Amino acid sequence: MKKTIIILLGIILTISFSMISSAEEGNERKGKYTYRKVYQSCKDRGEVESATPTLSPDAKTQAQWDRYFEEKKYLEADCKEEWNKLSEEDILNIHAYLKGHAADSPTPAKCK
Amino acid sequence: MKNKTFIMLFSTVLGAWLSVWQSDLCHAAQMGNEKRQTTTDHSKHKVLQQEFSTGDDITKACLSCHTETDSQFHKTIHWTWIAEEGEKQLGKGGDSLNNYCISSNKMNDKGCSKCHTGWNAKEGEVNCLLCHSQKEVNWDETFEDFRFFKEEGDDESKALAAELQGNIHKAVTDIGLPTRKNCGSCHFFGGGGDGVKHGDLDSSLTHPDKMLDVHMGTNGGNFTCFRCHSGKLHNIPGRIYSQKAYEDRRSLVEDDTISKITCESCHTATPHKENAKMNDHTDKVACQACHIPDFARVNPTKMSWDWSKSGRLKDGKPYKTKGPYDKENYLSIKGEMKWEKNVKPEYFWFNGSMSSLTTKDVIDPSTTVAVSQPNGNINDPDSRIFPFKIHHGVQPYDLEYKTLLAPLLSGKDGYWTTLDWQNALQKGMDFSGVPFSGKFDFVKSTFAYPTTHMVMPKANALACTECHVRTNSRLASFGELYMPGRDYYKEIDFGGWILVFGAFAGILLHGTLRFFSGKRK
Repeated sequence: MKKTIIILLGIILTISFSMISSAEEGNERKGKYTYRKVYQSCKDRGEVESATPTLSPDAKTQAQWDRYFEEKKYLEADCKEEWNKLSEEDILNIHAYLKGHAADSPTPAKCK
Repeated sequence: MKNKTFIMLFSTVLGAWLSVWQSDLCHAAQMGNEKRQTTTDHSKHKVLQQEFSTGDDITKACLSCHTETDSQFHKTIHWTWIAEEGEKQLGKGGDSLNNYCISSNKMNDKGCSKCHTGWNAKEGEVNCLLCHSQKEVNWDETFEDFRFFKEEGDDESKALAAELQGNIHKAVTDIGLPTRKNCGSCHFFGGGGDGVKHGDLDSSLTHPDKMLDVHMGTNGGNFTCFRCHSGKLHNIPGRIYSQKAYEDRRSLVEDDTISKITCESCHTATPHKENAKMNDHTDKVACQACHIPDFARVNPTKMSWDWSKSGRLKDGKPYKTKGPYDKENYLSIKGEMKWEKNVKPEYFWFNGSMSSLTTKDVIDPSTTVAVSQPNGNINDPDSRIFPFKIHHGVQPYDLEYKTLLAPLLSGKDGYWTTLDWQNALQKGMDFSGVPFSGKFDFVKSTFAYPTTHMVMPKANALACTECHVRTNSRLASFGELYMPGRDYYKEIDFGGWILVFGAFAGILLHGTLRFFSGKRK
């Protein structure tokens, strides 16, 4: 009986952790489009001249991106109005996208 | 006398009429509205209103109307990447190499194949949109993301999938003749980056000023590439491996069905004002020699690349440094390189064809190896003095077989990942199907590129004294040619001066004698 409880508990814990970690990871594909939309909208509003984001994913390492989002540095950069409108999930997705294509990632990317 | 006057008047009127007609022929579509040649609105075609999730599906839709296009296109060099020259197979799909990224390993280097005109290199259908869509789309990314979001199924994903399909639809239906941007998406980035390979082709020509190129300038002729590179059945003239880019030097005035590839096609062989001395040059000097005083006037171009210096590490890791023009001048994965702007061309006799080496040709490593060089000489009636960009390289060769080597660069086994020459050379030569002894070293090389774009307005053409001058003549190396101003014969000059002084002395003597002889009375 004890064994069954331990196994069940283990399964529940694994599922919970995986859910938490997947939420923390975010959806990088969605993040890419949300990130582009931030700058497109910002450009349409006239704050920036180009719809190309100022910071490309490969502008920082993965650790630097983690710090950038932990310290909410994006609120100190361009397009604060758009960043403020984003949900927690949107921010998580953008974080996942930028970190996933950081300079020290297997697939560094540049915004075009 | 009356007859003579009439003939003179008639020839003047005829000349003026011909020049207007010729100007009309050449400038007919230069006003920037290329779309007027389109006879269909692609957004109205039902076959293009379906959902597309792969590139091949799009091409099948195109071919449902343009039924013969793929069979025509599959025969062109844009598809095969091969130019046959006797037993030699030149081209990126053949055995050719250069001294930039050296080789595409017969299209097995995936990095190079990005520029192939198929959706997936030579596999599958032709990507018609690469040249004909007026919208720029990253197709691989778009299709992958579209399929992903469609499968995800949540509201946000559905909205993103619809947005991506909208972009695909816009690109599929906004169809026209190729623009400078279409052609330039590959040709401006030859050698792996903006302006790397060609000194006269880079992204600055997407929206050029007429001072950069009088023909393509948006405030000048606003020519698209195909105004000169006008082909038949998707064969676009202009490629030079061994065959000439053009065979016909006649102008459209002489025959309006000929290709428009040369300057003479529109400007004729006597393009300058009547009796202008410059018209006497056109049988020996190419128009480009005077009308392209320098190249890489906006963006810098790569002038040298030393592969032997690659592989250095900093703190155990590959690194890169930047130099003038904010361009990389050292990369561990590529070696050392130099960039230049406003480069004066080098000049050679050129009959329109090039001699190029392949992985199978034996070289002499004790000299600088000319990987590609122009053909022509003073006695060849088709040869003209022509401007070139000469790119200097240091590249690997086989110590035993004395052949140039083609390393595999990209991918997990490529040099850019492993920094292991031995392995990269073996992999590359295996793809090339040419034996490699396993022993290699580096050899100096040159690669010549004809300079034919970035033509300046006529007021900015070279002055006569750039060449006809005693010192620092642009044509100083053309020893076989007598050029007034640059060359002289001491004996003839001495004789000339004797005649001048003699005549002067004679006048003086004559005047003095007359003065004193009293004949004036």
